[in-house]
Amino acid sequence: MSETAQTSTPRDPQRLHEDMHEVWGNPRGLKALSIVNHTTLGLRFMATGMVFFLIGGILAMLVRTQLAFPDQEFMAPEIYNQVFTMHGTLMMFLFAIPMLEGLAIYMIPKMIGARDLVCPRLTSLGYWCYLFGGIILTSSLFLEVAPDSGWFMYTPLSSGEFSPGPGSDFWLLGITFVEISALSAGVELVVSILRTRTRGMSLDKMPLFAWYILAMALMIVVGFPPLILASIMLELERAVGMPFFEVAAGGDPILWQHLFWLFGHPEVYIIFLPAAGIVSTLIPVFAGRPIVGYRWVVLAIIVTGFISFGLWVHHMFTVGIPQLAQAFFSAASMLVAVPTAIQVFVWLATLWLGRPVMKLPMLWVLGFLIIFVCGGLTGVMLALVPFNWQVHDTHFVVAHMHYVLVGGMLFPLMAGLYYWLPLFSGRMPSERLGRWGFWLTFIGFNATFLIMHWTGLLGMPRRIYTYETVMGWDIFNMLSSIGGFVMSAGIAMVLLDIALHFRFGRPAPQNPWNADTLEWTTSMPPSAYNFASLPRVDSRHPLWDDPELPRSIAEGRHDLAVIDHGRRELWGSDPLTGKVREIVHLPGNSWWPLFASLALAVVCVCLLARLYPLAGLATLAAVGFLLRWSWENGAHPRAAPDAQVQPGDPPLHSRTMDGPGLWAMSIALLANGSFFLSYLFGWFYLWTVSPEWRMPDTSPLSLPLMVLAGVALTAGTLWLEKLVRGLRRQDDRGLALGLFAVTALGGAQLALLIWVIWQAGLAATETAHDAVLLLGLIYVLLHGALGTILTLLQGLRVGYGYVSAEAPFEPAVVARLWRYNLMVFWIVVFALVTMPMWLGGGA
Amino acid sequence: MLVGCSGDRSILDPAGQAAREVAWLWWGMLAFSTVVLVVITALWLYAFRGGRRVARSSRDEQRIARRWIIGGGLLLPGLSIVLLLAFGVPVGQRMLPLPLPDGQQVERIEVTGHQWWWEVRYPDAEGGEVVTSNQLMMPVGEPVDFHVTGADVIHAFWIPRLGGKIDMIPGRTNVIRLEADASGVFGAQCAEFCGAQHTNMQLHVEAMPRDDFNAWLAERQAPPEQSDDHQAARDTFVEHCASCHRVAGVSDGQQGPDLSDIGDRVSLGAGRLAMEEGAIAHWLRHHQQLKPGNRMPSHDHLDAETLDALGAWLETLSP
Repeated sequence: MSETAQTSTPRDPQRLHEDMHEVWGNPRGLKALSIVNHTTLGLRFMATGMVFFLIGGILAMLVRTQLAFPDQEFMAPEIYNQVFTMHGTLMMFLFAIPMLEGLAIYMIPKMIGARDLVCPRLTSLGYWCYLFGGIILTSSLFLEVAPDSGWFMYTPLSSGEFSPGPGSDFWLLGITFVEISALSAGVELVVSILRTRTRGMSLDKMPLFAWYILAMALMIVVGFPPLILASIMLELERAVGMPFFEVAAGGDPILWQHLFWLFGHPEVYIIFLPAAGIVSTLIPVFAGRPIVGYRWVVLAIIVTGFISFGLWVHHMFTVGIPQLAQAFFSAASMLVAVPTAIQVFVWLATLWLGRPVMKLPMLWVLGFLIIFVCGGLTGVMLALVPFNWQVHDTHFVVAHMHYVLVGGMLFPLMAGLYYWLPLFSGRMPSERLGRWGFWLTFIGFNATFLIMHWTGLLGMPRRIYTYETVMGWDIFNMLSSIGGFVMSAGIAMVLLDIALHFRFGRPAPQNPWNADTLEWTTSMPPSAYNFASLPRVDSRHPLWDDPELPRSIAEGRHDLAVIDHGRRELWGSDPLTGKVREIVHLPGNSWWPLFASLALAVVCVCLLARLYPLAGLATLAAVGFLLRWSWENGAHPRAAPDAQVQPGDPPLHSRTMDGPGLWAMSIALLANGSFFLSYLFGWFYLWTVSPEWRMPDTSPLSLPLMVLAGVALTAGTLWLEKLVRGLRRQDDRGLALGLFAVTALGGAQLALLIWVIWQAGLAATETAHDAVLLLGLIYVLLHGALGTILTLLQGLRVGYGYVSAEAPFEPAVVARLWRYNLMVFWIVVFALVTMPMWLGGGA
Repeated sequence: MLVGCSGDRSILDPAGQAAREVAWLWWGMLAFSTVVLVVITALWLYAFRGGRRVARSSRDEQRIARRWIIGGGLLLPGLSIVLLLAFGVPVGQRMLPLPLPDGQQVERIEVTGHQWWWEVRYPDAEGGEVVTSNQLMMPVGEPVDFHVTGADVIHAFWIPRLGGKIDMIPGRTNVIRLEADASGVFGAQCAEFCGAQHTNMQLHVEAMPRDDFNAWLAERQAPPEQSDDHQAARDTFVEHCASCHRVAGVSDGQQGPDLSDIGDRVSLGAGRLAMEEGAIAHWLRHHQQLKPGNRMPSHDHLDAETLDALGAWLETLSP
C-alpha cells in the first residue's frame, strides 16, 4: 500500500492541488458559515479570542483607573463589581481557554500529519457555541446587568436572594453554553491525537506539543463537568427554587466552592500546559538541537495532569476545613512545583547544550521564564497554610495569579504567535516593532504586578472599589496603574505589528526557523487539506531528517494521494504504535452545527428571559438538528456510500468495528462520568457535611419500581450487546427487529422511571435532599431517553441500508452508551436508595 | 524599610504572635525565592549566549542534561518544600485554637458578618451578654477565640496585624485564636467579597489591658440613661427605626446594627464616616450616597429637623 504510493512517480503539484481543493476547499460567501475545516475554524477561534481579550483588557484598564487614586468616584460600586467580575470571566472563559483550543485545533492535525480533526462538524459546533455564548455573556455588560458576584460566583452571594437581577443567570447560562465548545474541542483533540497520527508516528515520536495538548484535552474532559454540574444546580436553584446551596433547606454553599475549584484548579493547568507546550516546541528549534529529556517532559506532563486534580482545596484554606485535609492539600500544592521545575530545567539544559539564537519568539520565552518562575515561587508560598491565611483574598494573590496566568499563558502564547505567524500568513513579522512591544509589555507587566504583591502585604483586600489615604496604599496603586497602561501600550504595539505584517511583512521562506515538525511541511499559508500526501514518520524530527519533505508531499509521493473518490480521507492509526489500521473518511461542510448552536442560543436567551415553554421548544429543535446531523454518517449518500478503496489500502473506518467514533463516544462518556461522579460527590458531601441536612426515615423512591426499571435497562443492554457481537461476526440477521425490541425495553425503563418520580412526590423546592434526588433521576431519565432514541434511529437506518453487516460500526457506538447508562443506573439505585436504607435515614 | 512596612493593616507590621511568625516566614521565603529566581534567570541568560559550544559526545550531553534535570527539577523543589514545611507547619500548629495546657479559660467573642456591618457579642461577660457593632474591644496579652459566622452571605474575619483570616459562613461557626501584644487600635476589613458594599465593611479593633476591658464590658451592662430632653427623637426612633435597630432599654430590632453605644464609636457605616458632632444626622440624610446599596431605606420622608434631632439623641447614647 504505502510502499507503492511512496515510490510512485511525482505528480504535478498544481494538478494535485486542484483535485484536492475540489474535495477539501472552503466555499465562499454565505456558505462559508458551513465550513468545518480545522484551519479556518482554528483561525476563527483565535481571532474571536483576541476580540474578547481586548474587551477584557479594557475592563482591566477601567479597574486600574478606579484604583489609581484613593477615594476615586470614577465608577459606582455596582459597576465596578460588574467590571472586575467580567474581567476575570472573559479572560478565563472567553480568552485563555478558547484561544489555546483554537491554536490546538489549528496546529494539531498539521503536527501529527492529518488533514483535519476527526470530528470536523464538532469543531464547527464548538466554534458557534463559543461565539454565541460569548456574545450573550458580553451583552450583559452593555445592558448594565452583568454578573457582579466575582468570577467564582460564590453562593449565597450569587443566589436569587442576594443577586436577584439577571446577572448571575447570564454567567451560569452563558458559561455553560461556552463550555460546550471546550468539551467538544477536548473530545475531538483527544481522539485525533490518539487515532489519526500519520503512519509510523508512535506515541514516543509524537511532537511534545501534541503530548501537552493531549493532557490539556483530557483535563478539559474531566475538569469541566464539575463546573457544568454546579452551574446547572445553581441555575435550578435560582430559576425554580431547588435549594442545593441553601443552608436552611439542608443545602450547603461550600458545595459550590468544592465543585467550582474542582474545575477551577485543573483549569489553571489547562491553560498552562499548552503554553508550556509552545515553549517546549520553540526551545529546541531555536537551540538547534532536539530537546533533552523528552521522556522527562512527558512524565512531567502526566504528573502535572494528575496532581492538578488534587489541589483544589488550596483555594479554600480559610473556609475552616479539617486540619488534616489542609495539610494534605498544602503538601500536594507544593509538590506540583516538581514537574514544573523539571520542565524549566529541561529547557535550560536544552539551551545549554544547543546553539541558541535570540529571535523575537525567544524573547517572549525568556520573559515567560522570569515571570513564571516568580509566579511559581509565590505559588509555593501560598500553599503554606499559615501564610495563606494572611494573604488570601489580598492583592498579593491578585499579583501571584497574574504572574502565573500572564507569565504562564500570555507570554508563551505571544512567543507561539510570532513563531507560527509565517504559517498563518506566509509572511515574517518585523523584529523592530515586535521588540518594542515585548519590552513595553514586560516592563509594564512587572511594574503593575510586582508592586501589587507589596500592596497585598500592606493589607489591601481584593475586590474593593476604593480605599482611603490613611491605609498607605496610594503610591503603590498609582504605580500599578501606570504599569498597567504601559503594558496596554505594549500589547497594542504587538497587535499592530501582527496586523501590519499581514500587509507588509516580507514573504517567508519555507520553514523559516529551521523547525523539525510536520506543520512546516505544508504550504504557507496552508491549504485546506494540509498535505497532498501523508508522509511516513520514523523519528521525532521528520523535517530535520528530510528537508525535502515539503516538496515530496506536494508532489503526492506519500500516502493517500488519490482523491477521485471524492472523500475527505486520512489515516486511522493505532493509538500506541502509529501503525495504520483504517482509512478515516470525514464529513464535508455542514449547516447542522450552525443550526444546532443557533437553536441552543435561543434556548439560552429564553432561559435568561424566563420564557420556559419557548426554551423547551428550542431545545427540541436543537435535538432535532443534532439527530439530523447524526443521520449523515457511515453509508449515508453524503458520507461514504461506496466503500471502494485503493488495492492494498485498509478499509474505511465505517466498515470496521473500532473507528474513531467509538473513541469519541468513550471520551464523551468520560466527561459524562466526571459529571456523574461530581453529582455523587455532591450527594455524599451534603449527606455528611451539610449543617442542616435532613434525611427522611424511608426513601421516597420505590425500590421495587427502580429495580424493575433497572431490569428493563439491563435486558436492553444485553440484547444490544448480543446484536453487536453478531455484527462482529458479519451476521446481521434480525438486526432491525432486535434494535426495535431494544428500543421498546428502553421505553419501558423510561415509563417506569417516570412512574417512580411521579409516586415519590418529591418536595424538590423545599429540601435539598429531594432536590438532589430529583436531579439524579432526571439525569438517569435523560440518558435513558437518549439511548432509546439513538437505538430507534439505528433500527431505521438498517431499513435504509446505512447499517448492516457491511457497515456495522454504529450499533457498537450506541451500545457503549447503553453500557454506561446501565452502570450509572445501578450506582444510582445503590447510592440514592439502598445506602440510605442500610445506614438509616434521619441521621 | 520598616517605615514602608508599617500601616494600619500591614501584615508586615505585626502586633501579635501569629502575625509575627507569618511575617518572619515571609521574609525568609522572600530571601530564599529571590536567590532561586536570580540563579535560574542567570543560568538561562548564560545559556542563551550561544557560540561558545564545545563538541560533546552524546554520552556527555546525556550526563549534563540529567544533572540539570535531577538537580534543578527534583532536588531543588524537593529540598525547598521540606525546608518550607519544616518552618511552616509548626507555625500553623501554634495558631490552632487548642485547649490551653493549664485549663485556662480563653476569652470568647462572637462576631457575625452582615451585609455590610459587623455584629460583635461577648456572651461570657460577667453580668450578662454585651452586644455592640462595628467595633471590637479585646483584652491584651491573652489569647482570644473569635467564633465567627455569616448572617447572609459569606464574609471573612481578618485583623491583619494580629494574624490570619477565617471565613464567616452562613450555617457554620469557625473559630480563630488571636492575641494582641500591646494596647492599640488595629484596622480590619471584610476579606471575602460580599457584594455591593464589601469595601465599606470595616471593623475598628482596639486592644486594651484586662481591667480596662472588663470596665468597658461593665459599662455596657446597664442601659444608657435616658433624659427627657430627647423624648421627641426617641418617639421618632420607635416609630421608624426600632423594628430594625436595638437600643438597650428602648427597642429590640435585630436586622441592623445595635445602636446602644453608638455615641461612643469612632465611625459610622462600618468605617465609612468618622464620628463627630452632627455626623449621625449627616449619615441619616445621605447614607445612600455615602454607602450606595446599603440595606437601610432612605429617610427622605422625614424632614431635616426630625433627622437632626434623631441624630442628636443617638449621639448621646454612650455608656
